[in-house]
Amino acid sequence: MMHDDTHAADLLMGDVVRLEDVLSRDAVTTVCKSFFALFGLPVRVISCEGDLLADVHQDRSLCRYLNTLGGGERACAKTVSAVRDVEPTDQAIVHPCFTGAVYRIAPLTYQGRSIGRFIMGPYVPATTKSPPSSLTLVDPAIDAKKALAHFEVMPRVRDDVAQKLSTHLQGVLELLVFSGHRTQLASTMQIANVRENYRELAEKNERLKVSFEKLKELDKLKSSFLATVSHELRTPLTSIIGYAEMLESGAAGALSDGQAEFLQTIRGKADQLLGLISSLLDLGQLEADSLKLNKTAVDARALLSDVGSTVVPAANRNNINLEINVAADTPRVHGDPVRLRQIIVNLADNAVKFTPEGGEIELSAEPGTLNTGLAEGLEAQLFPSTQSAVVLTVRDTGQGIAEDKLARIFDAFYQIDGGTTREHGGAGLGLSIVKQLVDGHDGKIEVTSEVDQGTVFVIKLPAADDDA
Amino acid sequence: MQVDFGAKELTVKLVYYGPALSGKTTNLRAIHWLAASDTRGELMTLETQNDRTLFFDMLPITVSSKSGLKVRLKLFTVPGQVMHNTTRRLVLQAADGVAFVADSQRSEDEANRESFANLKENLSEIGINPEQIPIVIQFNKRDLEGIRTDDELEQIAARSRAPIYKAVATRGYGVVQTLLGLVRETWSNLEDEHELEEKFGINPSRLMMEIESTLKHDPRKRGR
Repeated sequence: MMHDDTHAADLLMGDVVRLEDVLSRDAVTTVCKSFFALFGLPVRVISCEGDLLADVHQDRSLCRYLNTLGGGERACAKTVSAVRDVEPTDQAIVHPCFTGAVYRIAPLTYQGRSIGRFIMGPYVPATTKSPPSSLTLVDPAIDAKKALAHFEVMPRVRDDVAQKLSTHLQGVLELLVFSGHRTQLASTMQIANVRENYRELAEKNERLKVSFEKLKELDKLKSSFLATVSHELRTPLTSIIGYAEMLESGAAGALSDGQAEFLQTIRGKADQLLGLISSLLDLGQLEADSLKLNKTAVDARALLSDVGSTVVPAANRNNINLEINVAADTPRVHGDPVRLRQIIVNLADNAVKFTPEGGEIELSAEPGTLNTGLAEGLEAQLFPSTQSAVVLTVRDTGQGIAEDKLARIFDAFYQIDGGTTREHGGAGLGLSIVKQLVDGHDGKIEVTSEVDQGTVFVIKLPAADDDA
Repeated sequence: MQVDFGAKELTVKLVYYGPALSGKTTNLRAIHWLAASDTRGELMTLETQNDRTLFFDMLPITVSSKSGLKVRLKLFTVPGQVMHNTTRRLVLQAADGVAFVADSQRSEDEANRESFANLKENLSEIGINPEQIPIVIQFNKRDLEGIRTDDELEQIAARSRAPIYKAVATRGYGVVQTLLGLVRETWSNLEDEHELEEKFGINPSRLMMEIESTLKHDPRKRGR
C-alpha cells in the first residue's frame, strides 16, 4: 500500500485546493496593473477564503474628496466592505456605490468550482450623467458643485464594454490558475513519484539484505561442513596410508611382486586423495579465516629451488624445460614458508599440467613494490603508498586461458571447462587456495594469458622488514 | 469518489489505461472536442517534448443534473511506457472506473496483454480489487491494417465480463460510447455501494441521458 500525505485525496482527484496555492501574487498583480494601465479600471482579486491576492487601484478625486468628510468616509468604508462581501456564483454582479459609480464583481471558477472572485471598479456607467441626489445626504458638508466636477472625471464605461472587459480578465485569470495548477500537479506528482520510488527501493534493499544475510549464513555452514568432512575423511585415510606403508615395509611378511605393485597403486591413490582432502581443509579454514600463518623471512631462491625440485620429475617426463631465475638483490619474503611453498607448487604444478611437450616453464623472483592502502582510483594515483616487495613469477608456454574466463579462475571449484577435470584431474580448488593464501599474506596476484601462447602469474608479496 | 454534501457535488474519477501509444490521450482530446464547452474544463496535459504523456492528462467534465446534484467526471490518462509504472500507480489511486484502451493491431497483442496484467497488478497493489472495479475495454485504431477482426472481438466480448467497444479515436468514433459505457458501469457500481439514488434522489437512467446529451454535443454547431 502507498502512503501519501500531500493533500492526497485532492491531488489524486486533480483538484485545486486553494487559489493561493496555484496563483502567484506577483503574476496576478502584474496582469491587473497592465489591465489598469490599459483601461484605467481598478482591479482586486480575492480568494474564496477572502484573502486579497492583488489590489491595483488609484483613489479617484471624488473618493479623495468624500473621504475628507466624516459622512463620506463612513459611507465609502461601508460600500467597500459590502462589495468585498459579494460572492457571485455563476454571473458577474454589478454593485452600486453611493456616488453613482458601480463595482462589477465577477466569479472565478475552475473545473466547475468557485475558487474566488475579482472586483472591477469603481467606474461610472456611460448612461449615468450625474451623481444621485442622495449623495448630498451622506454628509451635510458636501458641496454639490465640487462633487459633480469630480464625478465628471471618473472613468466611464458602457455596460457591454464592461461585460467584455470583465470576461476578458476572467479568462486571463482562469488561465493563470490553469497554468499554476498544472505546475502544482506536476511538482506534487514528481515528489510523490520520488517518494514512491524511494519506498520501493528501500523495500527491495531490505529484501536483498535479508537474502544476502541468508547466503552468508549458508556459505558459513558450507565452509564449516567442508572443514568437518575433510577432517573426518583424513583420519581414516591416514590409517589406510599408514597400514599400506607398513605392508610395503614388510611388517606383515614378505610381499610378492604383484602385491607390492598393487600396494604402490593403493599408496599413490591414497596420497592423491590426501592431497585433495588437505586442499578442502585449507579452503574451509581460509574461508572461515581460521588459518594461522607463521610468518618469518623466507629466502626466495631457496623457495623456488625447493619447488623446482618438486616439479622437475613431472616436467622431465613431458620434456618441458624448467628454468629458475632469481635476481641478486631480491629481498626475503615476509611469509609462512609452508604456505608460500604451497602457493608456488600449485602454480608450477598447473604450469606443468597445461604445457605441451617441449614447452618452457620459468620460475623467477625479483625485487619490486606493492601498493598498500587504496587499491585504485585517482586517490591511489595521487597519493600512492607503496612498500618494498618480492615479485614471484610463474611463466609457462602452455595452452593459455581465454580472456572471458580469466576473471573466474580464482573462484573455488571453477574449472575452465568441464573437460579439464577429466583430462588433468583436480577439483578446481588450487587457484582459489592460492588466491586466498596470497590475500592472507597481504599480497597481490595477477594473471595474464594468451591462448596457445602461455600464461603468466605474477605474485607480489611484502618483503621481510630486515630486507626492506 | 468524493462527495461534498454541502455543495451537492459528487466527483467520480475515471482512468484511461493501456499500452504506450494505444490512444489514451487521443480519447481525451476527442472528448474535449465533443463535450459542450460549458461542461468541460481545459484538457490538461503533462507531456514531454515528443508528445508522450509524462505524468497524466486530465479532463474535467461537470454535469449539473436537474435533480440539483452536480456530477464532476474527472478523466485521467496514465503514461503508457513501461518505465512510468510508479506514476501509473499514483494516478490509479482512488479510481472509480477504468477504460482500458487496447491497440487493435495484432502486432500489439503482447503489449496489450502486458499492460492489462500491469493494470491488475497495480490495482491490487493499491488495494483495489481488479475483479470488482468497473472496467470497459476499447479496441482502438479500427481503421488500421492487420487488426483483430470484428468476429474475433465479438468472441472476446462473449467471454469478457467487461463491455467491449470499438473506436477510431483520431476521428472521434466510439470515444463517447466508451466513456458512456464506463460511466454506466461505474455509476451502477457506485449505486450498489453508496445508494446514490436514495441519498441524492438521482435517477440513474435520467443522469445517463443528461451526461449523454452533454457529450453528444455537435461541435460544428458551436457558437450558434
